[in-house]
Amino acid sequence: MYQFLLTHRYLTSKVMPLLAALAVALCTAMVIIVWSVMGGFLVMLINSGRTLVGDVTVSWPITGFAHYEELIKRLEADPDVAAATPTIETYGLIGLPDGRTETVMIKGVDGPSYTLVTDFADTLYWKPIDTPHPKDVHKDDPRLSNHTLWKFAFEGGKRLVRFEKPERGNVAVEKPGVVLGVSVSGFNIRERWGFYPGQARARQPDGTLKMVPTILPVDGNVTINVLPMDSKGRAVDMVARSFPVANEFHSGLYEIDHKTVFLQLGALQEMLKMNRAQKVSTTSAVTVNERGEESFTAPTVLGEDPARVTNVLVRGKTQSFESAAADRLADKVAAIYRQFAKDFEGQVPPSTSIRILTWEDQNRTMINAVRKETALVLFIFSFVSMTAVFLVLAIFWAMVSEKTKDIGILRAIGASRAGVAGTWLLYGAAIGLLGAVVGFGIAYGVVTNINAIHEWLGEKLGLYIWDPKIYYFSRIPSDLNARHVAIVLAGGVLASCVGALWPALRAARMSPVRALRFE
Amino acid sequence: MNATATNPAVLRATNVRKTYQLGRLRVPVLRGVNIDVARGEFVAILGASGSGKSTLLHLLGGLDAADKASAATGPAAIEFEGTDLIRLSAGRLDEYRRRRVGFVFQFYHLLPELTVLQNVTIAAMTAMGKLEYWSKRREVRAEASSLLERVGLGHRLLHRPAELSGGERQRVAIARALVNKPDLLLADEPTGNLDRVTGASILDLFTDLHTSGQTMVVVTHDEATAARADRVVRLVDGAVQSDR
Repeated sequence: MYQFLLTHRYLTSKVMPLLAALAVALCTAMVIIVWSVMGGFLVMLINSGRTLVGDVTVSWPITGFAHYEELIKRLEADPDVAAATPTIETYGLIGLPDGRTETVMIKGVDGPSYTLVTDFADTLYWKPIDTPHPKDVHKDDPRLSNHTLWKFAFEGGKRLVRFEKPERGNVAVEKPGVVLGVSVSGFNIRERWGFYPGQARARQPDGTLKMVPTILPVDGNVTINVLPMDSKGRAVDMVARSFPVANEFHSGLYEIDHKTVFLQLGALQEMLKMNRAQKVSTTSAVTVNERGEESFTAPTVLGEDPARVTNVLVRGKTQSFESAAADRLADKVAAIYRQFAKDFEGQVPPSTSIRILTWEDQNRTMINAVRKETALVLFIFSFVSMTAVFLVLAIFWAMVSEKTKDIGILRAIGASRAGVAGTWLLYGAAIGLLGAVVGFGIAYGVVTNINAIHEWLGEKLGLYIWDPKIYYFSRIPSDLNARHVAIVLAGGVLASCVGALWPALRAARMSPVRALRFE
Repeated sequence: MNATATNPAVLRATNVRKTYQLGRLRVPVLRGVNIDVARGEFVAILGASGSGKSTLLHLLGGLDAADKASAATGPAAIEFEGTDLIRLSAGRLDEYRRRRVGFVFQFYHLLPELTVLQNVTIAAMTAMGKLEYWSKRREVRAEASSLLERVGLGHRLLHRPAELSGGERQRVAIARALVNKPDLLLADEPTGNLDRVTGASILDLFTDLHTSGQTMVVVTHDEATAARADRVVRLVDGAVQSDR
């Protein structure tokens, strides 16, 4: 009991141990802040990576597979499946308005069902907004005004069409359009205030610079070039087609936003010759009758080649970030596909070869890279935080020397060696706990206000560590995870106890007589 | 009151030796001391500075270890109620100091961060487990307050040692030594740091304690202090010169 009394008294009457507590507090705060920001970064990446792929994907790349409508019907009949949608993924070329040609991933999607399976609609950038970005204090974001224009762009984006003025009448004409990743065109340069201004400085023929509008959904057109394959995977002639830009999307992942273009599924199927088609005999003949007249025998229609897609994306009913939830859904999808492959044997890829991937499988490279980076940064900062152990050790060493006589008194009144050691260890734990709690307070204050602090540093000192022009996320992410906080706090207390251990053992080993005579 | 004749020895030291090692030099401080203390007896150990009297007191109180017996020096023992302290484990010695002995030092040795009351109760805390102390904390505080009242410090319970005079500090030390109701009170020059008047009042307190039956061994270089005892053991150069 005396250990608690002395710990309380020493804690409230000495300044030196408070320095040790401060060291623990700063180290604890540092590790929590780093872990929260890196964790927030990871969560944001996972969210962004997951936005456009659903929970589970059934994939047969390049040639695609048929009867997908039947597969979707069967999948949607399962109680754990919320929705499924067909998509095509292929690589192609895009011809941009300024004459550049870029390689892109072209995704053909069915707008209405795709928005049910993914968060595609949320990623559409050009849409009416009421609240400006927190950094946009002057409300310069073009989406804050001209809501009618953005409403059309948003609705068009969801359906992958652009509404254009009719030549006659008042009803807008719908034209199949594309939705580009916000960085595909290269025209969208984000402002420091967190939004795309919709205009850029362009050099004019006379050499002068002029601000020109760069919002492609208003009047931009692009050319999409794809290489179709037949059902055997053999290349057919390149197909090029011009599309108006319906909207642009912003998923938050540069690799996606820089290299992805969405197109209507039907249009892409047509271009890739993956649409429904008649299967005919290749033998046709010209015959001449006895009167010398020629007649043409048309090829025989042998049947119908069904439309194909490369992917079916599935969304589960329960949305969870746990890998296990997606794995369970993937198992269900695999079971449904097995039966489907059996029923359509010879017409669809066998269940042993089809690729069934969870959202995590598809983003594994990126997620693992960030996880490893987080672990490395945490290791470095935790290692740096070990200085707190040595600081506590040095301070406790000095305190044990200062309190030598007290140790002698305690031993004289019957305190055991273990009891004396326990006093200093308890004191170390109390210092650690105090430091950890204060550290958590500091970290909580910093993490929850990290963007405000960053803004303040930018305004007062011109210090923009996280410049939205450079980083893809316009806000510094953070995720204050309770389990991580508990681990760091426990680590702080443990570090303090480790620092106090050697001085505590020294105190315990002191001869009581020598300690009493200490001057 | 002379208890030697009527009571058996509660503490018996036989052929006690203590040698300090100073570098390569061996310095014998006690050279075969024999002493008996009967229950209820007040024994004064009188000697000049360096005679080994404080060392003897530390050995009797289990604060320090006597030299082990050897063939050359013969058997040695410090027996408290028949138990040889020299052969006790560290844990049993701690227990002995906690429950059987109370110390009073020349320089009081109070814990400066604690109040007067806490300086007394902390000795009770060392003698009890956490749960036992928690369940008896009110009784312990009452006992400590009563002791402090008895030594004339009932009005100073919440003061810190720095706010007390030397005499008052020594009274706190006496109360601390008595809180666990020890069988033996050991005092090392209890008036050595006090003026004559204050010293006399402390000695009066010792006399009162002795009258109430407390067994005491007081180490002093002061003849007047020794005169209060039942028996005076004179120590010269680490050996008993006289015992009467």
